[in-house]
Amino acid sequence: MATAGGALKVSVISPEATLFEGSAESIVAPAFDGEVGILPSHAPMVTTLGAGVLRIGNGEASFKVQGGFLQVVDDVVRVVTEHAARL
Amino acid sequence: MAKGRELKGRIKSVENTRKITRTMEMVATSKMKRAQDRVVAARPYARALADVIASLYNPSLAERFPLLRQPAKEARAAVILLTSNRGLAGAFNANLIKEARALIAKLEGAGTHVELHVVGKKGVGYFRYVGREVAVSRTDISDRPTAEDAASLVESLMARFISADLDSVYVVGSRFNSVLSTPPTADRVLPVEPPAAKGAQKDYLLYPSAEAILTELLPSYVRNAVYRALVETVAAEQAARRTAMKNATDNAGDMLNLLRRTYNRARQAQITQEIAEIVGGASALQG
Repeated sequence: MATAGGALKVSVISPEATLFEGSAESIVAPAFDGEVGILPSHAPMVTTLGAGVLRIGNGEASFKVQGGFLQVVDDVVRVVTEHAARL
Repeated sequence: MAKGRELKGRIKSVENTRKITRTMEMVATSKMKRAQDRVVAARPYARALADVIASLYNPSLAERFPLLRQPAKEARAAVILLTSNRGLAGAFNANLIKEARALIAKLEGAGTHVELHVVGKKGVGYFRYVGREVAVSRTDISDRPTAEDAASLVESLMARFISADLDSVYVVGSRFNSVLSTPPTADRVLPVEPPAAKGAQKDYLLYPSAEAILTELLPSYVRNAVYRALVETVAAEQAARRTAMKNATDNAGDMLNLLRRTYNRARQAQITQEIAEIVGGASALQG
């Protein structure tokens, strides 16, 4: 299990390619019903995404996403979406 | 020296052919590398989808999802055949068409009505030639298939599967195991075969609910299966073309060796003959 205070390992995956891979302190994602923020040691979660902006870390990268889902498990965050464009 | 000139002409023409096949081999090699990269790049997405679907799926959900419906019997099936737009790839397209025909024969033997969707000029041309009716023929999918291409192929079929107008959908394409192994394969994409869960199941928090997530993910899973088939078939096509062109280049080389040898022998024979004639003529004058 992850230790508290560790960083998140984040990947943003589209059908064609892995758009982002790296670690971040936090991410904010547009879930189906509003934004959801994820910090290290988050409980395992799967949620569907709506349309909006996905922000990784403190301005490390952001993507415009629409649909797809987000999975958090053991401080590994996977954002899987068919429509993602880097901002 | 009539024969010599003829041989020279053939040598030139084989040399030109070899130049072309060698260039095509190099082009196919570089296209194959890029296509191979796309095959590899498509894997994380497929894995992520399969992981999540496997962890959410349980048999009791199956009845509630039309895409998981297991029809009692296959009355109507759709077969999507992926072929290339260009030839000169050895038996690549012939193998795919053979695989598709075997599948169609099997389905029709079991009393299923099969409608055929063909992608690629080669497949379209073949079925026009044999006079089989084709429901959809597409030649607009390029060497770089996109997820949208896959969606446009399978979206309407999914809708018809849900409304029970179709009982199954198959995709015939080449699997890209490695450069040397690209067997033609027929995969069933509908009804969805839920991926098997591996390892311990995590206790996920699910928002909004397992059903809602599956509702969104199952169509993505089907589209992705088609996308993967498209990408792998393109990579396999380039691999097949590279092999075919490499063989053609090698054969042209062998042929050139033989022609050059024959040409030189003829040339030498002629020189020898000319010398013999001159010597003969000189000695006749002296004598």
